[in-house]
Amino acid sequence: MIRATAAASLNRLRLIATREFLSYLRTPGFWLSLLIGPILAGFGAIAPGMMHQAAPTPLLSVIDLSGTGATPTIAAALRGQKPLARLVQPPMAAATAASPAAAARALRPYLSGEPPAGGPRLDAAAILSGTPQAIVVDFWSRDINDPDLRLAVRGATAQAMQQARLRAAGLDPNLIAQVSAAAPQVQSYSPRAAGGQVSLKDRLPSLLGLGMAFVLFFAIFTGAGILLNSVIEEKSSRILEVLLSSATVPELLGGKILGVAGVAASIIAGWAVMGLLAINRLAPDMIPAVGAALMTHGLVIWFALFFVLGYLMYASVFAAIGAFCETVREAQTLLGPIMLLITLPVMFLSLALEHPDAPLIVALSWIPPFTPFLMTARLASGPPLWQVLGALVLMAATTTAVVSLCARAFRAGALSTGRLDLKRLIGGMLGRAA
Amino acid sequence: MAALELEGVGKRYGEFHAVRDLTFSVEPGSIFGFLGPNGAGKTSTLRMVLGLIPPTAGRICVLGSSQVRTRLDRIGFLPEERGLYRLMTPLDAVVYFAGLKGVGASVARKRGRAMLEAQGLGEAIGRPMKALSKGMAQKVQLICALVHEPELVILDEPFSGLDPVNQQGLEALIRDLAGQGSTVIFSTHVMANAERLCERIVLMAKGRKVFDGTVAEARAAAPTRLVLEGALDPSSLSALPGLASVERDGGHAGGSALYSLQLAPGASPQAVLKAALQRDLDISQFRMETPTLHDAFIVLTKAHDGHEAH
Repeated sequence: MIRATAAASLNRLRLIATREFLSYLRTPGFWLSLLIGPILAGFGAIAPGMMHQAAPTPLLSVIDLSGTGATPTIAAALRGQKPLARLVQPPMAAATAASPAAAARALRPYLSGEPPAGGPRLDAAAILSGTPQAIVVDFWSRDINDPDLRLAVRGATAQAMQQARLRAAGLDPNLIAQVSAAAPQVQSYSPRAAGGQVSLKDRLPSLLGLGMAFVLFFAIFTGAGILLNSVIEEKSSRILEVLLSSATVPELLGGKILGVAGVAASIIAGWAVMGLLAINRLAPDMIPAVGAALMTHGLVIWFALFFVLGYLMYASVFAAIGAFCETVREAQTLLGPIMLLITLPVMFLSLALEHPDAPLIVALSWIPPFTPFLMTARLASGPPLWQVLGALVLMAATTTAVVSLCARAFRAGALSTGRLDLKRLIGGMLGRAA
Repeated sequence: MAALELEGVGKRYGEFHAVRDLTFSVEPGSIFGFLGPNGAGKTSTLRMVLGLIPPTAGRICVLGSSQVRTRLDRIGFLPEERGLYRLMTPLDAVVYFAGLKGVGASVARKRGRAMLEAQGLGEAIGRPMKALSKGMAQKVQLICALVHEPELVILDEPFSGLDPVNQQGLEALIRDLAGQGSTVIFSTHVMANAERLCERIVLMAKGRKVFDGTVAEARAAAPTRLVLEGALDPSSLSALPGLASVERDGGHAGGSALYSLQLAPGASPQAVLKAALQRDLDISQFRMETPTLHDAFIVLTKAHDGHEAH
């Protein structure tokens, strides 16, 4: 009898999950999601380089009223594979100005983007005044948000000042040049690196951890969105009431969450396959390294556990909200804070990659809504096992409580009418009729 | 064993009593009307019967079990407001809902196809629901509720939104279901359907049961009317014995008028007519109006309102 009831329950769960899965497999959104990930990843990889290459080199003029002769040093600092700026002759009126203020007055028209006829169009200008030992730089630029050129000019001017002081102290200019050119050859080692010296293969687990945290973010973001829309559709068309007269809340909620998880998992699996094909083509040697990296510190197993718990927690919250709403607009009042909650740990992901043991990151990784993201990003650095296990237990307990509360709210919401508000949602969670 | 038994059932939402102390039972194989105006507590009661919401008082026994949710596979339910997945085809929808009730896919497909064709939906079988008319979609949903051949069928306002032809079709279907041994419970506030279909009814008002019995018993609660036409004087009509009230219904040419005479409880229309003729009243036409369920509904709910006011 119990076995038959369990089998019937499992059958209903399977039917609901399958319907949910297949209904989204047939939509254009699924195929778009499948393609958009690799397209964005590819674009993200090549876009910064392309943008850097495509951007025109800014034109810089140096007006040296200090008599330091820093212009060649600045010119040298600007050189590179992609020069920070191209040095051009300043306009005559600025070059012959008697004071920084006069030079600035003379330069301003040329920095406006529409220079006077026959004059150079300038993107930036550096007016050097003061004495060789105490140079003052007035840096003018059309682009107020780009600090790179200003810092390069500052660095080069500082170097010129140091050289001027060394020359004044009687040092040989050749020696000064040699000293200035001296730079160490830095090699990166870490006890965490397999061979001592840090290579891409050693960084791979951290990068994969970061990637997995983003994948989880995507799965929750997309999956929960699908789930929310699905529940809203069923609520607005009164299908939920019929479903609840055929299936229990755990069967219905579980089936829907499983079905949408299947959609997200299919998209992620599609990405993984496309990613592996790309690696196989571009860097076939990396495939075994990726496999090994996934097993580092049990990364893939921990990730699976945190993924399941995180997904369950957020998906049940979204489903509960959906059960109270007949339109997405109604749901938006509560979606904002939840989206912020999901986005917050993502903002700390790069910090978690660079400083996985930073106190802030460690503390945040213990907070259950953030745990699946930040602990996944920390895993590759080999955090203490007690921390991983503790966070996992806390996460499991929280997820159990959240799912249980959301199941109650889901039932109350499915049969409710009227607009959603926080009071009704909490009332539903606490078992009070909505 | 009754198909459904409610004993002292109540449902309270905070301070609001949606249903109070409701007791009734439904015999197997019968057509049972659950009547009442909007907000009477019908939908709340049906939701409790289905185990969708728990009662705050009393006991519910469905198909011999107080564990209502264990009987869901043997119940068919059509909610008041209806809808189906817009992109699903009627046949897929029928197979899906049958599956949730434990019917295998191949059996459900065969049975669903036959039922859809019987309802004139053969050509729409493979079309998405969004392409179907409202009437067609309602038929599909009804088939979804019946495809697993339930012992107990609960229909919440099944006639709302249906045109007269489809209402007639649904009435025939309900009779067929009862003929095959299913118990049909339907809620409605349209009395004509209930009058034609039901053997027994429960009438609800403001969460309380105000009547429980046969349709004939309900009708008896409403007064009989005698309609007289002629050159009549209202005061001489009022003087007739056995009348509760006299109302003028309208006038006619030549001083003739139509009067509706409401008989006092227990009064005989024949006696009233005999008295009128003995007094030589100028009557050109007369007819007796038997009360309808609609009349009974109004009288019973008003009587309940009167009790509430006291």
